[in-house]
Amino acid sequence: MKRRTLIQTAGGGALGLLGAGLPLFGYAQDRYAKYKGQTVVLSIPAHPHYDAMVKLLPEFTKQTGIKVEVDKLAMARMKDKQLLEMAKPSGDYDLVCYVVMWKSEYVKKNLLRELEPFFKNPALADPNYDFKDVVPRYVENMGLVGGPKGYLAGPGAKLYGMPYGAETSILAYRRDIFAKHNLKAPDNYTEFEKLLPILKEKAGIGALTSRGQAGHQCVHAWLLHVNPLGGHIFDDKWKPIFNNEVGVKALNFLKLVSDTGPVGIPGYGQGEMITSFLQGQSAMYLDSSLIFGQVNNPSVSKIGGQVSYVVHPKGVRYSSQSGGLGLAIPKNAKNADAAFLLMQWLTSKEQDKAVCRIGGVPSRNSTMMDQGMVRQYPEYITLRQQLEYSDPDWRPIIAEWDEINIQALGVAVSEALTGKKTAQEALNGMVPKVTDIMKRGGYLKA
Amino acid sequence: MRTPRWVPWLYLGPAVAVMAVACLYPLLSALQLGFYDWSMGTPWGEAKWVGMDAFIRAFQDDAVWRSLRTTLLFAFVCVVAEMVLGIALALSLEGQVRGMAVFRTLFILPMMIAPIAVGLTWRYLFDAQFGLLNAILALFGSAPIGWLAQENTAFIAIIIADIWQWTPFVFIMMIAALSNVDGAVLEAARVDGANWWQTTFRVKLPMVMNVIAITLLMRLIDAFRVLEVIYILTFGGPGDSTEILSLHIYKTAFVGQRLGSAAAISVLLLLVVAGLSWFALRLSNPLKDEER
Repeated sequence: MKRRTLIQTAGGGALGLLGAGLPLFGYAQDRYAKYKGQTVVLSIPAHPHYDAMVKLLPEFTKQTGIKVEVDKLAMARMKDKQLLEMAKPSGDYDLVCYVVMWKSEYVKKNLLRELEPFFKNPALADPNYDFKDVVPRYVENMGLVGGPKGYLAGPGAKLYGMPYGAETSILAYRRDIFAKHNLKAPDNYTEFEKLLPILKEKAGIGALTSRGQAGHQCVHAWLLHVNPLGGHIFDDKWKPIFNNEVGVKALNFLKLVSDTGPVGIPGYGQGEMITSFLQGQSAMYLDSSLIFGQVNNPSVSKIGGQVSYVVHPKGVRYSSQSGGLGLAIPKNAKNADAAFLLMQWLTSKEQDKAVCRIGGVPSRNSTMMDQGMVRQYPEYITLRQQLEYSDPDWRPIIAEWDEINIQALGVAVSEALTGKKTAQEALNGMVPKVTDIMKRGGYLKA
Repeated sequence: MRTPRWVPWLYLGPAVAVMAVACLYPLLSALQLGFYDWSMGTPWGEAKWVGMDAFIRAFQDDAVWRSLRTTLLFAFVCVVAEMVLGIALALSLEGQVRGMAVFRTLFILPMMIAPIAVGLTWRYLFDAQFGLLNAILALFGSAPIGWLAQENTAFIAIIIADIWQWTPFVFIMMIAALSNVDGAVLEAARVDGANWWQTTFRVKLPMVMNVIAITLLMRLIDAFRVLEVIYILTFGGPGDSTEILSLHIYKTAFVGQRLGSAAAISVLLLLVVAGLSWFALRLSNPLKDEER
């Protein structure tokens, strides 16, 4: 069975049938009436997509009578607070935004509500929602838990969240600089590797910006290259294989990116990485599609109108990351139905376009196909193409991933980036630690 | 009339009760947690008793010892620098210098800023592309430096940020202590022919030694607890070169979700700080006279 079919079976198939033939206009009125006056408390990160989303909330309240209270935190601190809130018998959050890596842990700890009962509830579900229109790769990556490997679509997978602020990786480059030096955007990693030093020398600025700070940031940057080069963190039996030839090659490539990029990459978080490109200090950007809304925003960017996009270069295969943010309803939410209505409203066709118009990222195919939206963001054409290659298995979203990501691989990759260790030494050095974590998690025999 | 035996207990009781609740209870809870494998977000009833396992693992973990070494070096450099600078500033600004009030206010400002803001401020100052430090270096024709991108410079960066924030604390403590030094004693020293150097190091500073010891102790304890600034500035990197023990504990608890292990390492940290505090108090114990 093809992956897309699996997704439809596991998450979207049944959902897509819901609501068929239900009365429309009058029904929508009833849907919200019961919850008028309730307040949905929403936990969100400081993030461009959610900054845009906040601007839509007054319209939601106007249409539905449901009030929304937002608790905005730095992304890195959001999980601690959410865990504390969701562990209480009755929590303060009705709706939480989560990073994709947290989904398995949250579900394993029984902190989230399954969404299918909400979508099946005719009193709540919007008959015009069109679940199948939501990008299937995003649904699989952000929302499904319990399937193959615990996080992929397939038998056993259940829907716990909806993508909202989801992303894939894409290559953005400075059209003006490339034209001036008669350079071509790379189509594969061989061209990519050759281009970096040439670009650095000719353009006099960093070739490719990248994350590099110890912990999650540098691992994210490394995995961006591991996947298209054909690598994975674990084999099919959960044995660590990240230190194989592909892992080392990807890390050496990242070191080259750091050496030919803007100064200071081993200290860059996502913010510095994006700023470097937007402020004209780097000629290329290979990371989240979140960049679309920012490139032409003069308040943060100096490079508006000078950027083109191509798909993530090919290694042994075309592949790109899939990740970002989603929305879920905590088990202990006080106003779960109203929270669902807000989630459904935000992820509807109309509001998906609305959030994109003001700097957010699309979650729906209809948004990326809409002519008006494509006029505003011609890069949606490349994004649609890129999503075909987006790999929901580009990193293992198991409950133990945060620890592996930050406390093991995040140290090793960082040490290789600063030159303290070779790529091979650094990765080899972390195999025992990762193996130990996997044994503790029950994936490997102790 | 002989005081009944229960009277001291009556007076001490409320203070002991408050201390027990505020200090001892969390401490014992942490100790208890060290014997369990518990992950945040799960019911306490699901916590698994693991005995001494977390403590043994903590003592066998290279990362813990690396982190402890980093912490000791960080604390030593920061506290020495802050004590020297704070005392020097206090000595130079203790007199009736014009505009003194403004100086004093300026000096204590860093201490009043939230640590998160301090971390962010220094992160921007150290920024390789747009930071003030590299902008100043560029004026002298120097190439930009990735301050937070190399182990040595990142370690220097966290030390500079800590010194900037906490030297004012030493300054305040010392300026208060110096203002209480009996002028007659200083006058007598001067009459006896003592120069500035002798007056300062043989008279003034020995007279405020108790305050110096307490200040040293407080800074030492704080240096072991610092978290937010390093969290923001480097997140322990590059590699784990700036991962001090409190950040390691934070990551173990909130990233690794191993609260038992985090509690066990916290006990180790407590032992180290208690040992160093005992040593600091041996230098000059302000309670010694009262004990006699």
